[in-house]
Amino acid sequence: MGERSRWSANKVFTGRLAVLLLAGGDDHWSLQPIERPALPQLERSQWPRNPVDWFVLAQLKAAGLDPGPEADRPALIRRLTFDLTGLPPTPEEIDAFVADPDPDSYEHQVDRLLASPHFGERFGRMWLDVARFTESQGFEYDKLRERAWHYRDWVVASINADLPYDRFMMLQVAGDVLEPVAREGLVAAALLVCGPWDEAGNGQANETQKAITRQDELEDLIGTVCQAFLGMTVHCARCHDHKFDPIPQTDYYRMQSVFAGVRHGERALATAAEIDVREARLAEIARRQALLEGELAVLDARGRTRVLERRAPIGQPTVNAPVPRSRWRFEGDLSDEIGSLHGRLEGSARLERGRLLVDGSESHVITAPLKVDVREKTLEAWVALETLDQGGGAAISLETGDGQVFDAIVFGERQARKWIAGSNGFERTRDLDAAGEDRGPGELVQMAAVYRADGVIQLYRNGQLYGESWTPSSAPIDFRAGNAHLLFGMRHRGGANAFLRGEIEEASLYDRALTDDEVSQSFEASGFAMSETERVAALTPAEQIERSRLLTAIVEVRAERDGMPALELGYVGRREQPVPTALLMRGDVKSPGEVVTPGALSCVNVPFGDFPIAADAPEADRRRAFAFWLADPHNPLPARVIMNRLWQWHFGRGLVSTSSDLGRSASRPTHPELLDWLACELHERGWSLKSLHRTIVTSATYRQSSVCERRSLATDADNLLLWRFAPRRLEAEMVRDAILKVSGALDERIGGPSFRPFEALPFPANTYRPLDLDLPGFRRRSIYRMNVNSGKEPLLDVFDCPDPAIRTPVRGSTTTPLQALAMMNDPFVLREAERFANRVLDETDGGLPAAIDRAWRCALGRAPLETEAEEALVLAREHGLRLVTWTLFNATEFIDVR
Amino acid sequence: MSADPAPPRAGAPLDRRDFLRESAIGLGGIALSWRFERDARAQQAPSRLPSQAPSHGYSHFPPRARRVIQIFCAGGVSHLDTFDFKPELSRRHGSELTSKGENKGFFGQPGRLMQSPYRFAQHGGCGTFVSSLLPGIAGVVDDLCVVRSMVGRSNNHTPATFQMNSGFALNGFPCMGAWLSYGLGAHGEDLPTFVVLPDPRGMPAGGSINWTAGFLPAQHQGVPLVPGSAAPIHDLSTPAEVPARARAAGRIFRDRLDRMLEARVEGEAGLEARIRSYELAARMQISVPEAVDIDGESASTQCLYGIDRPESAGFGRNCLLARRLLERGVRFVQLWNGGAFGSPRINWDGHENLRENHDAQAATMDRPVAGLIRDLKQRGLLADTLVVWTTEFGRGPSTQGLDSSGRDHHPDAFTCFLAGGGSRAGHVHGSTDEVGYFVAEDPVTIPDFHATLLHLLGIDHQRLTFHHNGTARRLTDVHGEVVTGLLA
Repeated sequence: MGERSRWSANKVFTGRLAVLLLAGGDDHWSLQPIERPALPQLERSQWPRNPVDWFVLAQLKAAGLDPGPEADRPALIRRLTFDLTGLPPTPEEIDAFVADPDPDSYEHQVDRLLASPHFGERFGRMWLDVARFTESQGFEYDKLRERAWHYRDWVVASINADLPYDRFMMLQVAGDVLEPVAREGLVAAALLVCGPWDEAGNGQANETQKAITRQDELEDLIGTVCQAFLGMTVHCARCHDHKFDPIPQTDYYRMQSVFAGVRHGERALATAAEIDVREARLAEIARRQALLEGELAVLDARGRTRVLERRAPIGQPTVNAPVPRSRWRFEGDLSDEIGSLHGRLEGSARLERGRLLVDGSESHVITAPLKVDVREKTLEAWVALETLDQGGGAAISLETGDGQVFDAIVFGERQARKWIAGSNGFERTRDLDAAGEDRGPGELVQMAAVYRADGVIQLYRNGQLYGESWTPSSAPIDFRAGNAHLLFGMRHRGGANAFLRGEIEEASLYDRALTDDEVSQSFEASGFAMSETERVAALTPAEQIERSRLLTAIVEVRAERDGMPALELGYVGRREQPVPTALLMRGDVKSPGEVVTPGALSCVNVPFGDFPIAADAPEADRRRAFAFWLADPHNPLPARVIMNRLWQWHFGRGLVSTSSDLGRSASRPTHPELLDWLACELHERGWSLKSLHRTIVTSATYRQSSVCERRSLATDADNLLLWRFAPRRLEAEMVRDAILKVSGALDERIGGPSFRPFEALPFPANTYRPLDLDLPGFRRRSIYRMNVNSGKEPLLDVFDCPDPAIRTPVRGSTTTPLQALAMMNDPFVLREAERFANRVLDETDGGLPAAIDRAWRCALGRAPLETEAEEALVLAREHGLRLVTWTLFNATEFIDVR
Repeated sequence: MSADPAPPRAGAPLDRRDFLRESAIGLGGIALSWRFERDARAQQAPSRLPSQAPSHGYSHFPPRARRVIQIFCAGGVSHLDTFDFKPELSRRHGSELTSKGENKGFFGQPGRLMQSPYRFAQHGGCGTFVSSLLPGIAGVVDDLCVVRSMVGRSNNHTPATFQMNSGFALNGFPCMGAWLSYGLGAHGEDLPTFVVLPDPRGMPAGGSINWTAGFLPAQHQGVPLVPGSAAPIHDLSTPAEVPARARAAGRIFRDRLDRMLEARVEGEAGLEARIRSYELAARMQISVPEAVDIDGESASTQCLYGIDRPESAGFGRNCLLARRLLERGVRFVQLWNGGAFGSPRINWDGHENLRENHDAQAATMDRPVAGLIRDLKQRGLLADTLVVWTTEFGRGPSTQGLDSSGRDHHPDAFTCFLAGGGSRAGHVHGSTDEVGYFVAEDPVTIPDFHATLLHLLGIDHQRLTFHHNGTARRLTDVHGEVVTGLLA
């Protein structure tokens, strides 16, 4: 049963003490302490196999009904295998079970399947529905989340390892701050951010609208935590006290205070200690590297100077290079060597080896304001990008004092690896038909943007035209003296993703539009374009030897740096210390009310449940306190909620049918004592869910046949009293997975990055066009499909696969003509039917009758009836076996479990 | 709101023939409903009856409209350059806008007030103002009920679009068409109830989220239909490599397997439904290609929709197709004018140069929409077909930034219009202030707008509910009042 955590070692409070604790609490059933119910007093019966059955039997008897007979063994093993793994049993597995004389043979099968790695995939998928796990942002941009899958893998692995459920809950709200912090805790807490996120709304200029976006984000988070673990619709109290449940609006904002420091985004999947060690090491390497590169830069500068000296007499430029109004060489300082627009380092920007180094995290240089008005102009910079996989930063930008209007040379903002003349709202920006950048780290590129007085704009790269010129519809900007300045390494102030990662060797501002020739001359004259051979040849032999030594040493030190394993990133959310949370009157961001302290549900009576922490408590303390409150065995909700879910996952319907809502407006439990008995057992068994799964599926209730008995049907058509096992259709992913399993094509690898059955059409918003790809990586189980918001997978969609961004405690189960069309015509189904036909032919080599027999066993878990076999044979002879296998995929028996 | 999310069944049901006809897909609706409706309702106690579909074929009161076309102009159509005439903008052109509080633009770069580049004139017998941008629509203005006082919640495209479509500014709430499919069922059974016609130039931002059934059963989701492709609906066509005879034989054998199963497991309602679903699928394979084939339409009809002109041909075809779909029993058609955000712009998002942008978009939209309204009218369909022309927000009276000729997003006042289906023809509802910044009279929120549309369809918006995650969810959330001024 695994190690019991400290907080689960306590016994459940029962009896008088709990009643006293509850004084003043609410009388709604789900908020009452969990008391172990007595087993119903019934006449002797052979039917019950465990206490579950006594509770079920009592209610059947009260209604004058009898339980149904046990299902036959082939049906039982097919049901159990689908139920516990999401996949059909193989014919061999069925045969082995049917032939096993051991009286405990069914229990052996249960244990085998509970130990299967596919068990976690099956119930993990259901948890991901509750967690609204998505791998794209949703909203306008709907960008892919490349590294969200770690959470999915953690869920699957935790379920497989039977992580105690209290720990399962705690890690998902505070895993990154619960000692001992480990990678799994960081990943588990991704629950808080694995839903949709509005990047456009967060990046926009209007503060009120931005605040509303953030409030929506927190409602999604709080709604998810409270529905998933507590079965309470706390988010209903965002604007007013809950209408049905005893949840005052203060509770909502106290919980908001708990989670107010949680932000969307990626973070390194490493502990703070691991990161510190690594950074110290990196800093040491960087120091050595800087030393070596500095020496190399001195030598190279010497070579360059000698070449230029030879080309022309000292003091005269080699070619007629245009003279800028201002130029920054970054040789040890930020002075403007021609004008007086001296610069200032901001953030972590620094000068090294005669270059300005910017690292993409708010580092940049800002200059003094313009001394003269500038309209017609040329911006020029020599820049080496640290990586080509960046976007939005600028080498050089001229912006107004308030940062609202700017012209800039921007890299990768709208299209990967392309340069553009960036501008406010893209007003003077065009995407250019030019080659993507290919210069590697450290390699300089000259970029220039010419803005003519008549409005024409032209970009240049290394002295050559970069794309065509264009004339934007708006007039050129007058940048006024005193109210404009330059930025290096930043696009403009106030913009998202505005920072460059790289090195700037030199930058110039011309107060006129250079001609094509002049840009080219500037490129030639700089010397940066000089070939390495030429530069090296100008060095003395001793200098050349020294240079070789330095180069070798630099290669070594770089290798040492690159050899350090990169920190793995995951979409697990970022953290910040939030300001104290104020209640918002009517939920209106412009009407803040009283400041609240972090807290949880006031209607749940947990001793010391009122967190003794202040409104400005450290972020981590808040979630830690909440985690302990959540898993406190006096909190009656989590055990009831999860046991009800377990029941639903096995029977298709919960004892409470609204499984994320156990509040007053929810359904009443059909078997309240049974629910409490299960919840009680969960506490007693150290929160082991696997143990409870076992209890449920070994019950006589679960083993009933699905036969529809007329009298019972007349009394209880919905089978609320469980007089049979209600047949149900496979869930969307199970339909697809079963087809792959049966055709023999299923790739059963567990975990890792998701496969992507779509074409992503990026820029500026992602949309997705579904693709049917018959490639190995695409034949994995559907839980490993990258589940994006704005592009639905057609086959899964018609079978009620929910939008990923919606919390889905109960899936729909419809029957529609679109499902029939998908099963009839989808290329995937046809292809796998063909594969299935070939598979059974290969496996039998006894001709068609044997192949047909095997096809039935693989797809339906039973031998064909005589008429079925005869008709199938006729069909196969005339049209091929693939028509028969296609028919099997389309048969109701294939997609139903009974 | 009561705690009982009971199905909306008050009022007189439609007459019996209507009921039968309208609930035919109810195969989907009635026979199959037992599987999910049991979760749709809060069970107070074990029920003795199979749950019934909440509402198929029922209205709360006699409907004025029986079907809907929603035209969505994506990107944000400027009210100030289409329907909301503001002479004051011309007078104050180039001056700074003050006294309106916080700037509501998305980019936060208020410029100077900008007069409309279009001329406004009164049109029709009703004298409603329409700008020179929309000469076609100006010609049918006597059929329109123009709402000049719309107020949205968000200045951000996708949340605003989601709100217009689903009432919520978030991902994953059921859209109008899905609610109507859920509430009213289908007219016919050969076509889906809720059909989506994306702009031929591309999908809108948010893609399928804009026609999702959200937490409603999947049968109510919008079905995208792309005319001109091999399979206008995904998986509609039998692949060419499957011979017709083989397919027919396979289908017969498939039904045989289900019938044999039925004989063994007496009493399963679900099986009959599955068999029916294959029959319907086969009928859809015939009816959809027939519906999307507009070649049989006369040249004058095609011309009416602007199909003869390259700029309006694509959207015009979709408008004509929308009429054909409604004639064949589709309940709700969502027609997109405008795709996602990008460069070059293929929607109404005129940040840089409003005139350039709106000229290009209106050329695709104006004739087809006017043609659609004329055509519906001449065929007698407009009386009980509600045309709803929507966008996500308007555009601000100032330029976006100085020295600019574009306008930024503006959710605090914008214009939509209705036509037909019991809406008040030749009417203008509400007004905005002197520069069109805030609504001055009779604000219509999006929940109000939705409540009114449902009212025209015979539905009390407070009683069309679905229980999900603890709440009896509505299209109108906890808001919305029917705007009687919009009713004929």
